[in-house]
Amino acid sequence: MRLNNGQTGRSYCVQGLELPQDMKRRLGVLGMTKGTLLEVMNNKSGGTMVVKIRGTRFALGKHITENVEVAEQ
Amino acid sequence: MITVAFIGNPNCGKTTLFNAYTGARLKVANWPGVTVEKVEGSFRFQGEDIRLVDLPGTYSLTSYTMEEQVSRDFILSDEVDVVIDVVDASSLERNLYLTLQLLELGKPVVVALNMMDIVEKRGMEIDLHRLPEMLGAPVIPVSARKRRGLEVLMHAVLHHKEQAGPDPLIHEHKNAEKTRHRHDHHSEYAMVYSDEIEDRIDLFEEALRQNYPGLSNYRWLALKLLESDDAIWERYPVDLPRQQTAGFEDRVINEKYDFIEEIVEECLMGRARKAELTDRIDRILTHRIWSIPVFLCIMALVFFLTFTVGDFLKGYVEILIEQLSGLVLSGLTAAGCSAPLISLICDGIIAGVGGIITFLPNIFILFLALALLEDSGYMSRVAYVMDGIMGRLGLSGRAFIPMLLGFGCTVPAIMASRALENRRDRLKTMLVTPFMSCSARLPVYILFSELFFPDYAMLAAYSMYVIGIFMAILVAFVISRMDRSKTENALLIELPEYKLPSLRTVFIYVWEKVKDFLQKAGTTIFAASVVMWLILNFGPAGYTTDMTQSFGAQIGRFIVPLFVPCGLGFWQIVVALIAGISAKEVVVSSCAVLFGVPNVNSSAGMASLYAGLSAIGFGPLNAVCLMVFCLLYVPCAATIITIRRESGSRRWTALSVIFQLATAWVMSFLIYQIGSRLL
Repeated sequence: MRLNNGQTGRSYCVQGLELPQDMKRRLGVLGMTKGTLLEVMNNKSGGTMVVKIRGTRFALGKHITENVEVAEQ
Repeated sequence: MITVAFIGNPNCGKTTLFNAYTGARLKVANWPGVTVEKVEGSFRFQGEDIRLVDLPGTYSLTSYTMEEQVSRDFILSDEVDVVIDVVDASSLERNLYLTLQLLELGKPVVVALNMMDIVEKRGMEIDLHRLPEMLGAPVIPVSARKRRGLEVLMHAVLHHKEQAGPDPLIHEHKNAEKTRHRHDHHSEYAMVYSDEIEDRIDLFEEALRQNYPGLSNYRWLALKLLESDDAIWERYPVDLPRQQTAGFEDRVINEKYDFIEEIVEECLMGRARKAELTDRIDRILTHRIWSIPVFLCIMALVFFLTFTVGDFLKGYVEILIEQLSGLVLSGLTAAGCSAPLISLICDGIIAGVGGIITFLPNIFILFLALALLEDSGYMSRVAYVMDGIMGRLGLSGRAFIPMLLGFGCTVPAIMASRALENRRDRLKTMLVTPFMSCSARLPVYILFSELFFPDYAMLAAYSMYVIGIFMAILVAFVISRMDRSKTENALLIELPEYKLPSLRTVFIYVWEKVKDFLQKAGTTIFAASVVMWLILNFGPAGYTTDMTQSFGAQIGRFIVPLFVPCGLGFWQIVVALIAGISAKEVVVSSCAVLFGVPNVNSSAGMASLYAGLSAIGFGPLNAVCLMVFCLLYVPCAATIITIRRESGSRRWTALSVIFQLATAWVMSFLIYQIGSRLL
């Protein structure tokens, strides 16, 4: 499934990022790579979400969340 | 002299630490990206001159935005003797990534472990014995806010300034298999990769050594080549095929994080209790439906306080100015000064500068409210909340932060747009931010809405803010429609933990703003008042008490025809508007000088200004046109200079100035034409 369908309060494991190289790198240095565990803190209907990555909350726009493949934990 | 640079993740307390050492009062707040410029300071410590450099926050040494570029360039330059890596101990896992990158640079690194108080509060502990062993660098716990550990940190800096390699490393690497690599790097580097990556590093390192002898940090350069870093490939190309690096970037990142997990596992004790308060607050403030109404209520409250509490305090300042004015007048008369001199001081300087100072309470309250918002941690949430709306305007929610800052002052707001990744977004944000009504425009609204709409003064002033926001949105929308190239503006911003705003931070923030305001009153507004008085009291025939014969009147009359269609066809108003380009408050101070009102914000002053304006036929509709024009036209000279610097283009700056003037003219034209037909 895609991250933008993630539900508040659940954890997901990143399976792959189908994003431009630049964005992939930016997320990478924040520790969001294949295999990282994410916790969805908040999900607005539009796909803009708050996600906890390695202990820090990040707001991610829908252009990102739509293109992140995740598996529910 | 030794040069020490502070680097660290955004919002980890670098600037607080910098302020603590240098006694500077740089702005600090609780959202990522407050510092956008490199700032220097110096002090003496144990007989050494230390030059301290505060850098914008960055998550890595790979740069994506303008401010990150600043940090990277400086850290990589030869200027730096010692790097202080400021680490937010409450977010160790994230912060250590940059630490590992810095350690690979081969420069002396000292780790300052900040926010230890938060770690303690959460019931966690950090093993300060083990952490330096694993990193191979000294780790000093500090509290920037409570000013603890400052001397110890600098002491460590002095000790490590000449150390090139790491401190002794003691690793266990329980999870790693025994290495079969031909080098055993574990005694040399904190971060050792898998054998396959180490082999690659060797390959690139060898190529670099052959092509570029005499460099110091081959391992780091080799890693950057392996990570496919464009800037490094451009500067240090090697004959190895770049395709060989495919896929390694991800692996390098992952292996770093694997090692970080190892560190955290060993050094961070008691990870059970998490910060729940922030999540609870976020449940309301970032709620799916309620977040936007809540945000609007907060902003309404900010302005409500600005007007009501500010007006309440204003009375006292007025009394002060009135007494001063009376005192000066009688003093000058008693001393037998000439009439023009008395007029210059009383009708020019005191009327102009004094009139503006009475607005200080309103401005104080506005900045106090903004400081509380910024230091609480709410700013990043606003970016999240507004992302949907901003997305429709072709911008990311992050672009809303500069716009919100614009309610305070347009100049720092425009500089804050540096945090946006691409230039197109930055220019667009710079174009619309001036429409967000800044504190300098406040006096214009307060004065004219109270003069002409005494019963609905607050509503009238509010509506100016709404019109400003509406214009910003409209312009952004039109541009995004015209803009064919579809860029995806993805929001990516850290949401820090909420905290109680710190008294000290808020005090410094507000005090600096109040100081700016007083300084502006003493310089720009003072000068503008004197110039106004001069051009209004001198004409072709020399000194005159009849303003209609002055140079000012002649200049005004020359341009008046242009302003007749928008209800501003009065030479006095035209002169005030031109003068207002120096600073928006000058519109008010000029009116005070023009109509010879000594204390423009008091009830007596207002009555005489009202009488003066009525006498020239300036009514409520004209007042609305004036307020709208002031809202939308060029904010001030300082803004123009900032736009020029930030955009780097003279042509673009000129275009944006013309655009703002045109927008102001068209809007007031529409209001006047429609209004005069309806009324």
